[in-house]
Amino acid sequence: MLTYIARRILYSIPVLFVSTFLSFMFVSLAGDPRQNLLANPKLSHAHYKALFHTYHLDVSIPVRYWYWLQDVFEHKLGSSLLTSQPIWPDITRAMGHTLQVIGIAEIIAITLGVAVGIFSAVKQYSIFDYLFTTVSFLGYAMPTFWLALLLQILFTDIYLSYNVRIFYTSGLNSGVTSNTWSLDRLQHIALPVATLAIISFAVYSRYMRASMLDVISTDYIRTARAKGLPERLVIMRHVFRNALIPVVTVAALNIGGLLGGAIITETIFSLDGMGYYFIQKLGQLDVYAVMAYLAITSLFIIIFNLIADVVYGYLDPRIRYD
Amino acid sequence: MPEPLLSIRDLVVEFKTDDGIVHAVDGISYDVMPGETLGIVGESGSGKSVSTLALLGLIPQPPGRIVSGTAMFKGRDLLKLKKKEQRAFRGKEVAMVFQDPMTSLNPVLKVGYQLGEAIKTHFPDEKDEAIRARVIELLRLVGVPNPDTRADQYPHEFSGGMRQRAMIAMAIANSPSLLIADEPTTALDVTIQAQVLEVMKTVQTETHAATILITHDLGIVAEMCDRVLVMYGGKIVEAGDVYTIFKAPRHPYTIGLMNSLPKLTEDEEWLEPIPGAPPSLINRPPGCAFHPRCFLSQGRDRCRADVPELRMVGDGHYAACHFSEELVDFKSKFAEAVPA
Repeated sequence: MLTYIARRILYSIPVLFVSTFLSFMFVSLAGDPRQNLLANPKLSHAHYKALFHTYHLDVSIPVRYWYWLQDVFEHKLGSSLLTSQPIWPDITRAMGHTLQVIGIAEIIAITLGVAVGIFSAVKQYSIFDYLFTTVSFLGYAMPTFWLALLLQILFTDIYLSYNVRIFYTSGLNSGVTSNTWSLDRLQHIALPVATLAIISFAVYSRYMRASMLDVISTDYIRTARAKGLPERLVIMRHVFRNALIPVVTVAALNIGGLLGGAIITETIFSLDGMGYYFIQKLGQLDVYAVMAYLAITSLFIIIFNLIADVVYGYLDPRIRYD
Repeated sequence: MPEPLLSIRDLVVEFKTDDGIVHAVDGISYDVMPGETLGIVGESGSGKSVSTLALLGLIPQPPGRIVSGTAMFKGRDLLKLKKKEQRAFRGKEVAMVFQDPMTSLNPVLKVGYQLGEAIKTHFPDEKDEAIRARVIELLRLVGVPNPDTRADQYPHEFSGGMRQRAMIAMAIANSPSLLIADEPTTALDVTIQAQVLEVMKTVQTETHAATILITHDLGIVAEMCDRVLVMYGGKIVEAGDVYTIFKAPRHPYTIGLMNSLPKLTEDEEWLEPIPGAPPSLINRPPGCAFHPRCFLSQGRDRCRADVPELRMVGDGHYAACHFSEELVDFKSKFAEAVPA
């Protein structure tokens, strides 16, 4: 298993280089960063030349990629072309916020999704099952922005009508100071967490239910029952573990993607996270900031794919890595 | 006459489907004596598996439903037991070996664990080492080589025959008094079939369990069974001891089954199938369910109108045919093969 993980990590390195190279090409071709500098009337022609040279904007894009790579390793992802500020502090701060929101949302979604999936399958066609089937399909069907806006409107209305502040509808903290684990922070992130959790929950509970039903009707579950095993143990010991296998993939890939930032949710709730960061920098065409974001998200996707494969091997002994 | 171990009376099992109600088992009665091997033969959909799954409460309800009937086992009606009592019987007093060993073991749990679980369920106070020792002993009994290592392997590391041996070991783990084997060899290669049947025989001598052997293979019946029930369209059409049935069958369907078997000692150009197809269990043919395919029923109204009762046609020999007497002189092609 350890050799497998080591080998997978080694494989990931070229993948990371290829993916960042391609994104670098596309981002650079999407717009010329020199235009931003040229638009500044205060700079003389000689200034431009000097700046272009310092930022390596006078060389071809593949060569620029090479300079960018050096920057990434020497100066922690380099600094922004537009503001000359280092990227690292900004992006790690945004990452922290995203981790908190996505982390809480996914823990809630997985716990509830798996529990509801199990119950729905065990009590198939019961009122409980129908109720949660309806809830899940609503969650599936609702566009993120719409759900987020509904929650925002609801809690704004509550505040306006009753003058009680249950949840804030924008930002991360009321004051200037940022406090990661405070009631104030939780009141701020509750709605984005709810938005993301509802949507992920819908996906997980449906997958879990379908997967449980698949396993429940297999021959080996009949065998387990024929042993005289109590139904509770049949479900928890025999069905659950087998049913979890497909759900693990869905969850791991979903989390890997979400850590790149829930762009819509973060934008609507003005949440200083990865997605929000990306959208802002993309709008300004801040090439190196966008590249830093893309490199980090590619890394997350690769890591969570690896996690999914490792958990797979743990759950299913038929999968052996050597 | 000794007390029967299991006594089934008027068992009716139905399944609700979108097309209508499937009458899978339609009023069957039979006894199983202690220590005997009873074969149940019939084609797919004749109700042979369902009748035994019902005993263990393993019919998914819904869509299945046990409409009526009793199944007296050691003085208690298995069909009237509460869920918890039923579980106490399952795997302890009555155990089952299923058809497809490739899918009947949980792929993510070790074989030894799955066997041990069968014991632990009924003897929760048993120590783990004792259970492990018993598991290894069971695996050795059913002929799994290196049982010590094998117990720690997963099902996918076992071949089909080995898995079926493990299934048999699991079934006999608590020395049940009734073992139900539902087509235990159907999914296996012919050479492996013979080995598994040998294991079944060993196990029977070891545990003295009565066995219900469900199969569509008359060869296996001849090899293994003391008595036979022939089922057709959810009903028993003929019952008797294995010699009588093979020598002088008294139901046209049984005769059809015998005739459709090739005989190894003679040159046979063609197989002789039973014409037609098995009956729909939703809209059963009126009268005798077999009449559309029967060589005796041609032009006879009675076969279309009256459902034939299972009646005695000889010593311990029963057949459900209005015109069974016409078959008295029929000599099966296996007549010489059967010892007198």
